[in-house]
Amino acid sequence: MPDSNNRPDVAELWRSWLTETERQWNAFFNDVTGTDSFGRLLGGYMETYGTIHRLVTRSMERSLSTFNVPTRSDIVDLSERLSNVEERLGSIEFSLRALAEAVGHPTQPAAVTQLRPRRTRRPPRQPSQAQ
Amino acid sequence: MTTVYNPDTRALSEILQTLFERNLDRARRGMSVLLSRDPAAVGATLRDVVYARGTLRLYRYRPLTDEVYRIPVVLVMTLVSKPYILDLSPGHSLVEFLLREGFDVFMVDWGIPRPEDKRLGLEYYVLESLPRNIEEVQKVTGEREVSLFGYCMGGLFALMCSGVFHDAPVANIVCAATPVDFDGMGLFRRWSDRRWLDVDRLVDRLGNIPADLILRSFEMLRPVERWFSYVRLADNLWNDLWVRDFRLFYQWNHDQMPFPGEAYRQMIKELMWENKLMKGTLTIGGRRVDTRAITCPLLHIMAEHDHIAPYAATRPLTTIVGSQDKEDIVLRGGHVSLVAGRNAGFRLWPELSQWLGVRSV
Repeated sequence: MPDSNNRPDVAELWRSWLTETERQWNAFFNDVTGTDSFGRLLGGYMETYGTIHRLVTRSMERSLSTFNVPTRSDIVDLSERLSNVEERLGSIEFSLRALAEAVGHPTQPAAVTQLRPRRTRRPPRQPSQAQ
Repeated sequence: MTTVYNPDTRALSEILQTLFERNLDRARRGMSVLLSRDPAAVGATLRDVVYARGTLRLYRYRPLTDEVYRIPVVLVMTLVSKPYILDLSPGHSLVEFLLREGFDVFMVDWGIPRPEDKRLGLEYYVLESLPRNIEEVQKVTGEREVSLFGYCMGGLFALMCSGVFHDAPVANIVCAATPVDFDGMGLFRRWSDRRWLDVDRLVDRLGNIPADLILRSFEMLRPVERWFSYVRLADNLWNDLWVRDFRLFYQWNHDQMPFPGEAYRQMIKELMWENKLMKGTLTIGGRRVDTRAITCPLLHIMAEHDHIAPYAATRPLTTIVGSQDKEDIVLRGGHVSLVAGRNAGFRLWPELSQWLGVRSV
Protein backbone atom coordinates (compact mmCIF):
# COMPACT_ATOMS: atom_id res chain seq x y z
CA MET A 1 0.00 0.00 0.00
CA PRO A 2 1.43 3.44 -0.86
CA ASP A 3 2.28 5.58 2.17
CA SER A 4 1.06 9.11 2.86
CA ASN A 5 3.64 10.50 0.40
CA ASN A 6 2.32 8.11 -2.25
CA ARG A 7 5.53 6.08 -2.29
CA PRO A 8 4.86 2.44 -3.21
CA ASP A 9 5.54 -0.01 -0.39
CA VAL A 10 8.13 -2.40 -1.84
CA ALA A 11 7.45 -5.05 0.80
CA GLU A 12 3.74 -5.00 -0.01
CA LEU A 13 4.46 -5.36 -3.73
CA TRP A 14 6.71 -8.31 -2.96
CA ARG A 15 4.01 -9.97 -0.83
CA SER A 16 1.37 -9.48 -3.53
CA TRP A 17 3.73 -11.00 -6.05
CA LEU A 18 4.38 -13.94 -3.72
CA THR A 19 0.67 -14.58 -3.19
CA GLU A 20 -0.09 -14.34 -6.89
CA THR A 21 2.82 -16.63 -7.81
CA GLU A 22 1.71 -19.19 -5.25
CA ARG A 23 -1.85 -19.04 -6.56
CA GLN A 24 -0.66 -19.55 -10.13
CA TRP A 25 1.57 -22.51 -9.24
CA ASN A 26 -1.20 -24.12 -7.22
CA ALA A 27 -3.65 -23.60 -10.07
CA PHE A 28 -1.16 -25.14 -12.50
CA PHE A 29 -0.63 -28.23 -10.31
CA ASN A 30 -4.36 -28.51 -9.67
CA ASP A 31 -4.94 -28.60 -13.43
CA VAL A 32 -2.39 -31.40 -13.71
CA THR A 33 -3.66 -33.39 -10.73
CA GLY A 34 -7.26 -32.97 -11.80
CA THR A 35 -6.81 -35.03 -14.96
CA ASP A 36 -7.94 -38.63 -15.45
CA SER A 37 -4.39 -39.73 -16.14
CA PHE A 38 -3.22 -38.36 -12.80
CA GLY A 39 -6.17 -40.07 -11.13
CA ARG A 40 -5.09 -43.39 -12.66
CA LEU A 41 -1.52 -42.72 -11.54
CA LEU A 42 -2.71 -42.01 -8.02
CA GLY A 43 -4.84 -45.16 -8.04
CA GLY A 44 -1.73 -47.12 -9.09
CA TYR A 45 0.27 -45.48 -6.31
CA MET A 46 -2.33 -46.43 -3.69
CA GLU A 47 -2.40 -49.97 -5.04
CA THR A 48 1.41 -50.21 -4.84
CA TYR A 49 1.40 -48.61 -1.39
CA GLY A 50 -1.08 -51.23 -0.17
CA THR A 51 0.86 -54.10 -1.76
CA ILE A 52 4.21 -52.96 -0.34
CA HIS A 53 2.60 -52.39 3.04
CA ARG A 54 1.26 -55.96 3.03
CA LEU A 55 4.56 -57.46 1.84
CA VAL A 56 6.59 -55.56 4.42
CA THR A 57 4.12 -56.53 7.16
CA ARG A 58 4.31 -60.21 6.21
CA SER A 59 8.08 -60.38 5.92
CA MET A 60 8.47 -58.43 9.15
CA GLU A 61 6.13 -60.81 10.96
CA ARG A 62 8.07 -63.79 9.66
CA SER A 63 11.40 -62.29 10.73
CA LEU A 64 10.14 -61.29 14.18
CA SER A 65 8.61 -64.73 14.72
CA THR A 66 11.92 -66.33 13.80
CA PHE A 67 13.64 -64.32 16.53
CA ASN A 68 10.81 -65.07 18.95
CA VAL A 69 9.88 -61.38 19.26
CA PRO A 70 6.25 -60.23 19.42
CA THR A 71 4.97 -59.02 16.08
CA ARG A 72 2.75 -56.00 15.45
CA SER A 73 -0.33 -58.20 15.20
CA ASP A 74 0.55 -59.77 18.58
CA ILE A 75 0.65 -56.30 20.08
CA VAL A 76 -2.57 -55.31 18.31
CA ASP A 77 -4.22 -58.46 19.71
CA LEU A 78 -3.01 -57.53 23.15
CA SER A 79 -4.22 -53.98 22.70
CA GLU A 80 -7.61 -55.30 21.59
CA ARG A 81 -7.86 -57.45 24.70
CA LEU A 82 -6.87 -54.47 26.84
CA SER A 83 -9.57 -52.41 25.11
CA ASN A 84 -12.11 -55.09 25.98
CA VAL A 85 -10.96 -54.98 29.61
CA GLU A 86 -11.30 -51.18 29.51
CA GLU A 87 -14.80 -51.50 28.06
CA ARG A 88 -15.79 -53.96 30.76
CA LEU A 89 -14.32 -51.72 33.45
CA GLY A 90 -16.14 -48.77 31.91
CA SER A 91 -19.48 -50.56 31.99
CA ILE A 92 -18.88 -51.76 35.59
CA GLU A 93 -17.98 -48.20 36.57
CA PHE A 94 -21.09 -46.93 34.82
CA SER A 95 -23.30 -49.44 36.65
CA LEU A 96 -21.69 -48.59 39.99
CA ARG A 97 -22.18 -44.90 39.34
CA ALA A 98 -25.82 -45.44 38.45
CA LEU A 99 -26.23 -47.50 41.60
CA ALA A 100 -24.50 -44.84 43.72
CA GLU A 101 -26.61 -42.08 42.22
CA ALA A 102 -29.76 -44.13 42.87
CA VAL A 103 -28.93 -44.24 46.58
CA GLY A 104 -27.94 -40.58 46.67
CA HIS A 105 -24.13 -40.78 46.48
CA PRO A 106 -22.94 -39.18 43.22
CA THR A 107 -19.51 -40.52 42.22
CA GLN A 108 -18.42 -38.07 39.52
CA PRO A 109 -14.90 -36.70 40.01
CA ALA A 110 -15.02 -33.78 42.41
CA ALA A 111 -13.80 -31.25 39.87
CA VAL A 112 -16.75 -31.99 37.59
CA THR A 113 -19.47 -32.22 40.24
CA GLN A 114 -18.31 -29.07 41.98
CA LEU A 115 -18.81 -27.05 38.82
CA ARG A 116 -22.28 -25.77 39.42
CA PRO A 117 -22.42 -22.39 37.76
CA ARG A 118 -25.80 -20.73 37.73
CA ARG A 119 -27.43 -21.51 34.40
CA THR A 120 -29.31 -18.26 34.20
CA ARG A 121 -27.17 -16.16 31.93
CA ARG A 122 -29.00 -13.95 29.42
CA PRO A 123 -27.49 -12.56 26.24
CA PRO A 124 -26.48 -8.91 26.36
CA ARG A 125 -29.15 -6.59 25.03
CA GLN A 126 -28.66 -5.61 21.42
CA PRO A 127 -28.74 -1.89 20.50
CA SER A 128 -32.02 -2.41 18.61
CA GLN A 129 -33.57 -4.15 21.65
CA ALA A 130 -32.40 -1.39 23.99
CA GLN A 131 -34.37 1.27 22.17
CA MET B 1 18.70 28.00 -14.24
CA THR B 2 19.88 24.55 -13.18
CA THR B 3 17.54 22.19 -11.27
CA VAL B 4 19.25 20.64 -8.28
CA TYR B 5 18.24 16.99 -7.63
CA ASN B 6 17.45 16.71 -3.98
CA PRO B 7 16.72 13.10 -2.97
CA ASP B 8 14.52 12.49 0.07
CA THR B 9 17.39 11.25 2.24
CA ARG B 10 15.35 11.20 5.44
CA ALA B 11 12.80 8.77 4.01
CA LEU B 12 15.55 6.63 2.52
CA SER B 13 17.38 6.40 5.82
CA GLU B 14 14.13 5.46 7.59
CA ILE B 15 13.55 2.63 5.12
CA LEU B 16 17.13 1.42 5.44
CA GLN B 17 16.96 1.55 9.20
CA THR B 18 13.68 -0.45 9.26
CA LEU B 19 15.17 -3.00 6.85
CA PHE B 20 18.30 -3.30 8.96
CA GLU B 21 16.35 -3.76 12.19
CA ARG B 22 14.00 -6.30 10.64
CA ASN B 23 16.89 -8.29 9.20
CA LEU B 24 18.55 -8.35 12.61
CA ASP B 25 15.30 -9.63 14.11
CA ARG B 26 14.96 -12.17 11.30
CA ALA B 27 18.42 -13.53 11.95
CA ARG B 28 17.86 -13.71 15.70
CA ARG B 29 14.41 -15.34 15.52
CA GLY B 30 15.42 -17.52 12.58
CA MET B 31 18.05 -19.15 14.77
CA SER B 32 15.50 -19.54 17.54
CA VAL B 33 12.96 -21.19 15.18
CA LEU B 34 15.57 -23.46 13.64
CA LEU B 35 17.04 -24.53 16.94
CA SER B 36 13.79 -24.92 18.84
CA ARG B 37 12.56 -28.51 18.91
CA ASP B 38 9.99 -28.14 21.67
CA PRO B 39 6.41 -28.45 20.50
CA ALA B 40 4.28 -25.39 21.14
CA ALA B 41 1.99 -25.63 24.17
CA VAL B 42 -1.53 -26.25 22.87
CA GLY B 43 -4.92 -27.11 24.33
CA ALA B 44 -4.11 -25.38 27.60
CA THR B 45 -7.63 -24.53 28.80
CA LEU B 46 -8.47 -26.39 32.01
CA ARG B 47 -10.79 -29.33 31.52
CA ASP B 48 -12.00 -32.55 33.10
CA VAL B 49 -12.73 -35.90 31.50
CA VAL B 50 -16.41 -36.56 31.92
CA TYR B 51 -16.64 -39.78 29.94
CA ALA B 52 -14.13 -42.08 28.27
CA ARG B 53 -14.48 -45.10 26.08
CA GLY B 54 -11.62 -46.56 24.08
CA THR B 55 -9.81 -43.58 22.57
CA LEU B 56 -12.83 -41.32 22.96
CA ARG B 57 -12.82 -38.61 25.60
CA LEU B 58 -15.63 -36.25 26.49
CA TYR B 59 -14.17 -33.15 28.13
CA ARG B 60 -15.85 -30.47 30.12
CA TYR B 61 -13.97 -27.18 30.18
CA ARG B 62 -14.02 -25.39 33.49
CA PRO B 63 -16.41 -22.45 33.27
CA LEU B 64 -14.79 -19.03 33.57
CA THR B 65 -17.95 -17.24 34.65
CA ASP B 66 -20.21 -17.71 37.68
CA GLU B 67 -23.29 -17.60 35.51
CA VAL B 68 -23.54 -19.62 32.28
CA TYR B 69 -26.15 -19.99 29.59
CA ARG B 70 -28.67 -22.71 30.36
CA ILE B 71 -27.90 -24.86 27.30
CA PRO B 72 -24.40 -26.36 27.17
CA VAL B 73 -22.35 -26.34 23.98
CA VAL B 74 -20.84 -29.60 22.76
CA LEU B 75 -17.98 -29.27 20.29
CA VAL B 76 -17.91 -32.28 17.97
CA MET B 77 -14.56 -32.83 16.31
CA THR B 78 -13.58 -34.29 12.98
CA LEU B 79 -11.85 -37.67 12.61
CA VAL B 80 -8.95 -36.36 10.56
CA SER B 81 -7.28 -33.85 12.83
CA LYS B 82 -6.50 -33.13 16.43
CA PRO B 83 -9.10 -31.17 18.38
CA TYR B 84 -6.70 -28.61 19.81
CA ILE B 85 -7.30 -26.48 16.72
CA LEU B 86 -10.29 -25.13 18.70
CA ASP B 87 -8.10 -24.50 21.73
CA LEU B 88 -4.78 -23.49 20.22
CA SER B 89 -3.24 -21.33 22.90
CA PRO B 90 -4.30 -18.98 25.69
CA GLY B 91 -5.75 -15.86 24.11
CA HIS B 92 -6.15 -17.64 20.78
CA SER B 93 -8.75 -20.25 21.50
CA LEU B 94 -12.38 -20.63 20.51
CA VAL B 95 -12.98 -22.72 23.63
CA GLU B 96 -11.57 -20.00 25.88
CA PHE B 97 -13.62 -17.36 24.05
CA LEU B 98 -16.86 -19.31 24.53
CA LEU B 99 -16.06 -19.84 28.22
CA ARG B 100 -15.46 -16.12 28.70
CA GLU B 101 -18.74 -15.42 26.92
CA GLY B 102 -20.51 -17.55 29.53
CA PHE B 103 -21.04 -20.90 27.82
CA ASP B 104 -20.68 -24.30 29.48
CA VAL B 105 -18.40 -25.98 26.94
CA PHE B 106 -17.86 -29.71 26.31
CA MET B 107 -15.77 -31.36 23.63
CA VAL B 108 -16.08 -34.77 22.00
CA ASP B 109 -12.53 -35.83 21.16
CA TRP B 110 -12.52 -39.11 19.20
CA GLY B 111 -8.84 -39.68 19.99
CA ILE B 112 -6.20 -41.31 17.83
CA PRO B 113 -7.60 -44.53 16.39
CA ARG B 114 -5.77 -47.67 17.41
CA PRO B 115 -5.18 -50.45 14.89
CA GLU B 116 -8.19 -52.37 16.21
CA ASP B 117 -10.39 -49.30 15.63
CA LYS B 118 -10.29 -50.06 11.90
CA ARG B 119 -13.70 -51.67 12.38
CA LEU B 120 -15.32 -48.47 13.64
CA GLY B 121 -17.79 -47.21 11.08
CA LEU B 122 -20.34 -44.42 10.96
CA GLU B 123 -22.68 -46.61 13.04
CA TYR B 124 -20.31 -46.30 15.99
CA TYR B 125 -19.81 -42.54 15.68
CA VAL B 126 -23.36 -41.51 14.78
CA LEU B 127 -25.64 -44.09 16.38
CA GLU B 128 -23.69 -45.06 19.48
CA SER B 129 -21.04 -42.65 20.50
CA LEU B 130 -22.41 -39.17 19.89
CA PRO B 131 -25.81 -39.92 21.52
CA ARG B 132 -23.97 -41.45 24.48
CA ASN B 133 -21.84 -38.30 24.84
CA ILE B 134 -24.97 -36.16 24.78
CA GLU B 135 -26.43 -38.33 27.56
CA GLU B 136 -23.32 -37.75 29.65
CA VAL B 137 -23.57 -33.99 29.14
CA GLN B 138 -27.21 -34.15 30.22
CA LYS B 139 -26.21 -35.99 33.39
CA VAL B 140 -23.42 -33.60 34.31
CA THR B 141 -25.34 -30.40 33.65
CA GLY B 142 -28.82 -31.54 34.54
CA GLU B 143 -30.07 -29.95 31.33
CA ARG B 144 -32.16 -31.83 28.80
CA GLU B 145 -30.93 -30.03 25.69
CA VAL B 146 -27.53 -29.30 24.21
CA SER B 147 -26.19 -27.21 21.34
CA LEU B 148 -23.93 -29.08 18.93
CA PHE B 149 -21.04 -27.29 17.25
CA GLY B 150 -19.54 -29.50 14.54
CA TYR B 151 -16.33 -28.58 12.82
CA CYS B 152 -15.78 -30.12 9.36
CA MET B 153 -16.72 -33.80 9.66
CA GLY B 154 -17.94 -33.13 13.20
CA GLY B 155 -20.70 -31.08 11.57
CA LEU B 156 -21.59 -34.11 9.44
CA PHE B 157 -21.86 -36.24 12.58
CA ALA B 158 -24.11 -33.64 14.20
CA LEU B 159 -26.35 -33.57 11.13
CA MET B 160 -26.40 -37.35 10.75
CA CYS B 161 -27.18 -37.93 14.42
CA SER B 162 -30.01 -35.38 14.40
CA GLY B 163 -31.20 -36.78 11.05
CA VAL B 164 -31.49 -40.30 12.50
CA PHE B 165 -32.78 -39.49 15.99
CA HIS B 166 -35.53 -36.99 15.34
CA ASP B 167 -36.21 -36.62 19.05
CA ALA B 168 -32.54 -36.03 19.91
CA PRO B 169 -32.26 -33.40 22.64
CA VAL B 170 -30.46 -30.96 20.34
CA ALA B 171 -31.52 -27.35 20.83
CA ASN B 172 -29.20 -25.80 18.21
CA ILE B 173 -26.75 -27.00 15.59
CA VAL B 174 -23.77 -25.02 14.35
CA CYS B 175 -21.87 -26.47 11.40
CA ALA B 176 -18.54 -24.95 10.40
CA ALA B 177 -16.80 -25.89 7.14
CA THR B 178 -19.03 -28.94 6.78
CA PRO B 179 -19.29 -30.46 3.30
CA VAL B 180 -22.65 -31.98 2.40
CA ASP B 181 -22.67 -31.98 -1.40
CA PHE B 182 -19.81 -34.28 -2.24
CA ASP B 183 -20.20 -33.57 -5.97
CA GLY B 184 -18.58 -30.25 -5.06
CA MET B 185 -15.54 -31.81 -3.39
CA GLY B 186 -13.33 -30.98 -6.37
CA LEU B 187 -9.98 -32.75 -6.47
CA PHE B 188 -10.78 -35.07 -3.56
CA ARG B 189 -13.70 -36.43 -5.55
CA ARG B 190 -11.60 -36.86 -8.68
CA TRP B 191 -8.82 -38.63 -6.84
CA SER B 192 -11.22 -41.01 -5.12
CA ASP B 193 -13.13 -41.84 -8.30
CA ARG B 194 -14.25 -45.47 -8.30
CA ARG B 195 -12.54 -46.00 -11.67
CA TRP B 196 -9.13 -45.90 -9.99
CA LEU B 197 -9.62 -46.15 -6.23
CA ASP B 198 -10.34 -49.65 -4.99
CA VAL B 199 -11.35 -48.55 -1.51
CA ASP B 200 -12.20 -52.07 -0.32
CA ARG B 201 -8.76 -53.35 -1.18
CA LEU B 202 -7.08 -50.32 0.35
CA VAL B 203 -8.93 -50.58 3.65
CA ASP B 204 -8.62 -54.37 3.79
CA ARG B 205 -4.87 -54.08 3.35
CA LEU B 206 -4.12 -51.05 5.48
CA GLY B 207 -6.79 -51.18 8.18
CA ASN B 208 -6.80 -47.56 9.29
CA ILE B 209 -5.72 -45.11 6.59
CA PRO B 210 -2.26 -43.92 7.72
CA ALA B 211 -1.89 -40.34 8.91
CA ASP B 212 0.84 -39.80 6.35
CA LEU B 213 -1.52 -40.55 3.45
CA ILE B 214 -4.09 -38.16 4.88
CA LEU B 215 -1.48 -35.42 5.27
CA ARG B 216 -0.14 -35.90 1.73
CA SER B 217 -3.64 -35.77 0.24
CA PHE B 218 -4.28 -32.45 1.99
CA GLU B 219 -0.93 -31.11 0.82
CA MET B 220 -1.65 -32.16 -2.75
CA LEU B 221 -4.60 -29.80 -2.84
CA ARG B 222 -2.15 -26.91 -2.64
CA PRO B 223 1.15 -28.49 -3.64
CA VAL B 224 3.36 -25.42 -3.33
CA GLU B 225 1.78 -23.96 -0.20
CA ARG B 226 4.31 -25.47 2.16
CA TRP B 227 7.30 -24.05 0.26
CA PHE B 228 5.76 -20.62 -0.01
CA SER B 229 4.95 -20.73 3.68
CA TYR B 230 8.69 -21.04 4.39
CA VAL B 231 9.33 -17.94 2.27
CA ARG B 232 6.62 -16.11 4.23
CA LEU B 233 8.17 -17.29 7.47
CA ALA B 234 11.53 -15.83 6.43
CA ASP B 235 9.78 -12.61 5.45
CA ASN B 236 7.94 -12.36 8.78
CA LEU B 237 10.64 -13.58 11.13
CA TRP B 238 10.83 -10.11 12.66
CA ASN B 239 7.20 -10.43 13.79
CA ASP B 240 6.87 -12.41 17.05
CA LEU B 241 3.11 -12.90 16.80
CA TRP B 242 3.35 -14.12 13.20
CA VAL B 243 6.11 -16.61 14.03
CA ARG B 244 4.16 -17.89 17.02
CA ASP B 245 1.02 -18.45 14.91
CA PHE B 246 3.08 -20.08 12.17
CA ARG B 247 4.55 -22.59 14.61
CA LEU B 248 1.15 -23.39 16.11
CA PHE B 249 -0.51 -23.99 12.74
CA TYR B 250 2.50 -25.82 11.34
CA GLN B 251 2.45 -28.16 14.32
CA TRP B 252 -1.29 -28.76 13.99
CA ASN B 253 -1.10 -29.29 10.21
CA HIS B 254 1.55 -31.97 10.62
CA ASP B 255 -0.11 -33.58 13.60
CA GLN B 256 -2.48 -35.72 11.55
CA MET B 257 -4.21 -38.85 12.73
CA PRO B 258 -4.98 -42.12 10.96
CA PHE B 259 -8.53 -42.40 9.65
CA PRO B 260 -10.56 -45.37 10.95
CA GLY B 261 -10.74 -47.84 8.04
CA GLU B 262 -14.43 -48.73 8.08
CA ALA B 263 -15.53 -45.11 8.43
CA TYR B 264 -13.24 -44.22 5.51
CA ARG B 265 -14.77 -46.96 3.37
CA GLN B 266 -18.27 -45.68 4.12
CA MET B 267 -17.36 -42.04 3.57
CA ILE B 268 -15.90 -42.84 0.17
CA LYS B 269 -18.68 -45.15 -0.98
CA GLU B 270 -21.75 -43.51 0.51
CA LEU B 271 -20.77 -39.87 0.35
CA MET B 272 -17.97 -39.37 -2.17
CA TRP B 273 -19.28 -41.80 -4.79
CA GLU B 274 -23.03 -41.78 -4.22
CA ASN B 275 -23.50 -38.40 -2.56
CA LYS B 276 -26.26 -40.00 -0.51
CA LEU B 277 -26.53 -37.36 2.21
CA MET B 278 -27.38 -34.73 -0.37
CA LYS B 279 -29.81 -37.03 -2.14
CA GLY B 280 -31.48 -37.96 1.13
CA THR B 281 -30.84 -41.68 0.65
CA LEU B 282 -28.13 -42.21 3.26
CA THR B 283 -28.72 -44.98 5.77
CA ILE B 284 -26.52 -45.79 8.75
CA GLY B 285 -26.97 -49.14 10.45
CA GLY B 286 -30.19 -49.58 8.50
CA ARG B 287 -31.61 -46.26 9.73
CA ARG B 288 -32.32 -43.47 7.27
CA VAL B 289 -30.62 -40.12 7.78
CA ASP B 290 -33.45 -37.69 7.13
CA THR B 291 -31.93 -34.24 7.36
CA ARG B 292 -35.30 -32.68 6.44
CA ALA B 293 -36.50 -33.82 9.85
CA ILE B 294 -33.99 -31.50 11.53
CA THR B 295 -36.04 -28.57 12.73
CA CYS B 296 -33.89 -26.97 15.41
CA PRO B 297 -32.17 -23.61 14.73
CA LEU B 298 -29.12 -24.10 12.56
CA LEU B 299 -26.16 -21.84 11.90
CA HIS B 300 -23.98 -22.68 8.97
CA ILE B 301 -20.54 -21.13 8.66
CA MET B 302 -18.57 -21.42 5.44
CA ALA B 303 -15.22 -20.15 4.25
CA GLU B 304 -15.06 -18.52 0.86
CA HIS B 305 -11.60 -19.90 0.08
CA ASP B 306 -11.88 -23.29 1.76
CA HIS B 307 -9.83 -25.72 -0.32
CA ILE B 308 -10.57 -28.78 1.85
CA ALA B 309 -14.35 -28.44 2.08
CA PRO B 310 -14.92 -26.17 -0.93
CA TYR B 311 -17.69 -23.61 -0.95
CA ALA B 312 -19.55 -25.67 -3.59
CA ALA B 313 -19.65 -28.63 -1.20
CA THR B 314 -20.69 -26.70 1.90
CA ARG B 315 -23.09 -24.15 0.36
CA PRO B 316 -26.26 -26.32 0.10
CA LEU B 317 -26.26 -27.39 3.76
CA THR B 318 -29.16 -25.20 4.83
CA THR B 319 -31.22 -26.36 1.85
CA ILE B 320 -31.30 -29.97 3.08
CA VAL B 321 -32.58 -29.30 6.61
CA GLY B 322 -36.13 -28.61 7.67
CA SER B 323 -35.27 -25.83 10.14
CA GLN B 324 -37.15 -22.56 9.86
CA ASP B 325 -34.56 -20.68 11.89
CA LYS B 326 -31.43 -21.15 9.81
CA GLU B 327 -28.67 -18.85 8.74
CA ASP B 328 -25.69 -19.00 6.40
CA ILE B 329 -22.55 -17.05 7.13
CA VAL B 330 -19.85 -16.89 4.49
CA LEU B 331 -16.54 -15.51 5.68
CA ARG B 332 -13.32 -14.80 3.88
CA GLY B 333 -10.60 -17.24 4.78
CA GLY B 334 -9.82 -20.91 4.54
CA HIS B 335 -10.80 -24.14 6.21
CA VAL B 336 -8.67 -23.59 9.31
CA SER B 337 -8.47 -19.82 9.52
CA LEU B 338 -12.28 -19.78 9.54
CA VAL B 339 -12.39 -21.15 13.09
CA ALA B 340 -8.90 -20.63 14.41
CA GLY B 341 -7.16 -17.87 12.46
CA ARG B 342 -6.14 -14.62 14.09
CA ASN B 343 -9.13 -12.90 12.47
CA ALA B 344 -11.61 -15.53 13.63
CA GLY B 345 -11.53 -13.81 17.03
CA PHE B 346 -12.87 -10.64 15.47
CA ARG B 347 -15.18 -12.14 12.86
CA LEU B 348 -16.56 -15.59 13.55
CA TRP B 349 -16.39 -16.00 17.31
CA PRO B 350 -18.44 -12.90 18.25
CA GLU B 351 -21.10 -13.81 15.68
CA LEU B 352 -21.18 -17.37 16.94
CA SER B 353 -21.51 -16.24 20.54
CA GLN B 354 -24.30 -13.83 19.67
CA TRP B 355 -26.21 -16.43 17.64
CA LEU B 356 -25.85 -19.12 20.28
CA GLY B 357 -26.43 -16.76 23.20
CA VAL B 358 -29.97 -15.78 22.27
CA ARG B 359 -30.82 -19.44 21.63
CA SER B 360 -29.23 -20.86 24.78
CA VAL B 361 -31.44 -19.40 27.51
